[in-house]
Amino acid sequence: MKTLYTLLIIAITFTLVACNKETATTQTDVMNTMLTNKNWYLDYSITGTATKSYVGQSTYFVTYLKDGTTKDSDGLTGTYSVEVIGNQSQIHVQVKTANGNPLEVIYNIISVGASNLVLSKVVSTGTPTQLYFTNK
Amino acid sequence: MRAARLISNKFLLLFSIVSIAASSLSAQTLTKKQQDSAYLVNPGQERIRKIKKSFAKSFVNFVGNDVSLFGSLVLSKQNINDNGITVPLNYLYNTVNSNTFNPGYSGGFRIDGIYKEKHRYSLSFAVNRISAGNNYKNKHSLSPFIDDFTHFKADNNFTTLSVAAHYKKLLPVNAMNKYKFYAVFGPSFDYKISSISSENLINRAGRKAIINGDFGAEFDNKGYYVLFAHYKLGTNLFQSALPVQLNRFEIGMSIKAKDLF
Repeated sequence: MKTLYTLLIIAITFTLVACNKETATTQTDVMNTMLTNKNWYLDYSITGTATKSYVGQSTYFVTYLKDGTTKDSDGLTGTYSVEVIGNQSQIHVQVKTANGNPLEVIYNIISVGASNLVLSKVVSTGTPTQLYFTNK
Repeated sequence: MRAARLISNKFLLLFSIVSIAASSLSAQTLTKKQQDSAYLVNPGQERIRKIKKSFAKSFVNFVGNDVSLFGSLVLSKQNINDNGITVPLNYLYNTVNSNTFNPGYSGGFRIDGIYKEKHRYSLSFAVNRISAGNNYKNKHSLSPFIDDFTHFKADNNFTTLSVAAHYKKLLPVNAMNKYKFYAVFGPSFDYKISSISSENLINRAGRKAIINGDFGAEFDNKGYYVLFAHYKLGTNLFQSALPVQLNRFEIGMSIKAKDLF
């Protein structure tokens, strides 16, 4: 009888503890879902104290596709990946320059949602530019 | 060719009948060993008998147990504190925050009895379909970009299995031999059986086990049926990056199983 009670307690404990677990890709999967297959229109860019507004102009947009490719309104194409390094979520974009040289551009994801995206361009020197996009 | 197939089929049928008959005959004829074991105690049955005896001995003071089936309307709202969420997601506050009690439903069975002929109690087991309104306690903003957003969108449609143990205090109201009013209180426990969304797995925010404190009132109409109204205040059983407070009102009716079947 004692064994039965012990087994019952072990079973209940296991049931309680064995809940769904976060995997290494959960966070990036969710961010990818928010990010992909939308045209992200640039509304603002801020560098230091200088703010530029593009609201209503729809001059520049970028699209991240589910197949891992990206393109922008200037015709620039490449591939991208969402990564979490340390606690920082980032978009790594690989493009080719006009003369065919590979170039990696990294953006820190400040915030991503269904209709708002805020990125900060990672730069080795100088002030980073924050880019604010909306999905119209 | 056709005749040969017919004969073959008939032969197979005959063989099957003979096999079944032979096996049934052999089942009726017990071997010496089987005859001996029939007189001996069956270990499985003996174990069940012991468990039943042990239960009866343990719960000797729990008498007058009536099993009832119940169904109820459940109005739910959850208060969500997303301060512990570090992932850079944004959900526009006005699109996810409703701050209302949304309707769901619940059904199950309960056992009502008396402990030591003095203390009335009920034990209930239920399946609950919760559809909770969301009240996000924190608003964030990314000035001048985004006003009022949350970092988290809580699952608000889920199914739980629950168990509740309530103490029932008979209230001296009205003609107590006909109608009985009870004040009830006690703990209950919910376990989410529906899957947790990916968004709720981030930072291990979504938890499956909920512990509640319940109180309410019940009206027993001459033992024909019981009308009840319960309030449940629940929280995650285990610590989470996202403390959720689940408020529920249950309004329902229970009828004794023996009156139904």
